[in-house]
Amino acid sequence: MSGQRLGTIVGLELTQRTRSIAWYVLLGVFAVLLAIVTGLSFLAWGSAYRPGGAIYSTIVYITLLLVVLVSPTLSGNAINGDRDAATLAPVQVTLASTLEILIGKFLAAWVTGLAFVAVSVPFLVLATLGGGGAPATITVSLLVLVFEVGIISAIGVALSGILSRPLFSVATTYLVVAALVVGTLIAFALVGMTMRSEVTSHFRSIEYDQYTGDGYPCLPGETPSDENPCDDDIEVRCGEWETSTHEVPRFDQVWWLLAANPFVILADATPTQYDEYGNPNDLFGQIKFGVRAAQQPPELEQRWDDCTPGSQGDQRTPAEVVDQSTPSWFVGMTLQLLLAAGLMWWAWARTRTPAGRLPAGTRIA
Amino acid sequence: MPSPAPQAPGIPAEPGIVVQGVRRAFGEVQAVRNVTLRAHAGRVTGLVGPNGSGKTTLLLMLASLLAPDAGSIRIDGVDPVTDPQAARALLGWMPDALGAWNALTSRETLAVTARLYGMPRAEASVRADALLGEVGLVDLADAPARVLSRGQKQRLGLARALVHDPRVLLLDEPASGLDPQARIDLRLLLRRFAAEGRTVLVSSHILSELEEVVDDAVFLMAGVTVDPARVEAASRRARPWRVRLAGAEASVAVEQVAGALRIPVESLGVDRRDVMVSFESEDAAAGALRDLVGAGLDVVEFAAAQGALERTFLDLGDGRPPQAPPPSEPPAPGEDESEATS
Repeated sequence: MSGQRLGTIVGLELTQRTRSIAWYVLLGVFAVLLAIVTGLSFLAWGSAYRPGGAIYSTIVYITLLLVVLVSPTLSGNAINGDRDAATLAPVQVTLASTLEILIGKFLAAWVTGLAFVAVSVPFLVLATLGGGGAPATITVSLLVLVFEVGIISAIGVALSGILSRPLFSVATTYLVVAALVVGTLIAFALVGMTMRSEVTSHFRSIEYDQYTGDGYPCLPGETPSDENPCDDDIEVRCGEWETSTHEVPRFDQVWWLLAANPFVILADATPTQYDEYGNPNDLFGQIKFGVRAAQQPPELEQRWDDCTPGSQGDQRTPAEVVDQSTPSWFVGMTLQLLLAAGLMWWAWARTRTPAGRLPAGTRIA
Repeated sequence: MPSPAPQAPGIPAEPGIVVQGVRRAFGEVQAVRNVTLRAHAGRVTGLVGPNGSGKTTLLLMLASLLAPDAGSIRIDGVDPVTDPQAARALLGWMPDALGAWNALTSRETLAVTARLYGMPRAEASVRADALLGEVGLVDLADAPARVLSRGQKQRLGLARALVHDPRVLLLDEPASGLDPQARIDLRLLLRRFAAEGRTVLVSSHILSELEEVVDDAVFLMAGVTVDPARVEAASRRARPWRVRLAGAEASVAVEQVAGALRIPVESLGVDRRDVMVSFESEDAAAGALRDLVGAGLDVVEFAAAQGALERTFLDLGDGRPPQAPPPSEPPAPGEDESEATS
């Protein structure tokens, strides 16, 4: 691996991209979209108490969404497009190795994707000024954004080395990205609902039918007062214990399916700010709470007893749920890294020269 | 550090290109069946063959881009399969497909290529300017490659192959799209390269073109290099000569030529204003010319009707590509001995 050759390949790729007008048009469209979204977020969250976090997270999410939509086209034809234009072989015949070519193209695609993140920075600054996001939130969310752009670039470049037709590899990159963004959600919902468990619930209630007349008994823990003139002397009569069963989906067994979702990683990794009731005050925190809540196993033996005070179920705040559950962002990042690295390796084996077996329809030069 | 490639038995380390028994298939299609050739340093070797005979596939293997299924290749003693890096430092390859980075100028294209060969920035830019002068693209140095004509792109491709001053030059159809001046320049460049002791292998099917520049020729038919003995035999066969007499219609001239050479008129042909005569050898042709002049005929043109390469090529092909490799005739052991003893 030579730094000079790697730098030359990155420079070559970037020069070619930055000399096309279409590229600046795309950046312009991107900026206009972000301006619209920023304006709408200020209107939507403006009345909220301390709206900065909400606006900031909305803009970061929109940026991630747009980058996810744009990145495959920036990287999905890096190798096979060059082969079609007969510009790959002249590079392969130089001292540049296959690994240098792949890594160089990946870095160039990454930097190109980051240009879109750079366009979003003024809007993020605006959101921060408009209501203040926490420095930790800003730092971590931007780092995750940079990471995700890199993952999608790597997948795109790798697929362009694996598949021989540019159109096909761009489409496949979109499918892989869609699998991560939407597919994980669908799999989570469907598999979670397929894996059901039976819940047995035992319950008994106070037999109000027993009481006639004006008075009614004080429930356990209650004392008579003006507002609640219960009769402390009447004995509470509880009914028989009854048992019923029903099935619940086991999302706690499939929560990890969501871990590889870029939006979930962004939410899960970013430190959350809570209000005084323990509710997250940005989109990241709400999604993080949703994912962490899905980790909680359902109680398979439930008891509902009207006659015993304080037997009601989980009363934890979102902040408590999040604090007591497992972070999944590094699992997701690891899965994505493995996917990208595996595809890269496959692309390397396919692009290596002198080429051995070639897939049908592939040409060298 | 790449160590010198171990020598395969039977192939001595020698400058130039040595190919032995190379084979390469793409799926069911056997593109190269059996290629054995030598391209010597200091000489220009032509690779001649019809379309689809495997010339480009062979050059891809020599250029270290494609691995042969069998056989061995040495580029100045280096095996491009086991040590592609070392081979790439030695060889310059000009592909038949014109691939240029459209957004880059000619100067940038050459500088980037030089950088990919590890040249420092300053040196790369000096080298780019020198090459632009060499291939006559100075005026277009700062024009993006997309505005170049086919011939200009071809010249850029040639310059790109020369960036790292290669010892071995592989050129795939270099003359296609070139104007006459550029062809002459190319010919001079190749001759100069050979004179500097480098190895040049040129593929083409424009035989008249090759004829003027090559020292040796290798014939490739349906993926098989033709045995030199067969080439030799083909080149010895009778070849037509073109004879023109001043002021005589061909119909009259054919009678006069037949009379002077004392051969039947039917054995001669007529092509426009010329009489076509077949001779077994150049000696026979020279003798016939003496006879014609001696008979008082006004000969104004007396020339071989075909180039040697073209005639050999047509003779070998005979209008049909061979379907299978020619049976490798085992050298008859008695033959040489009897020759030696007789």
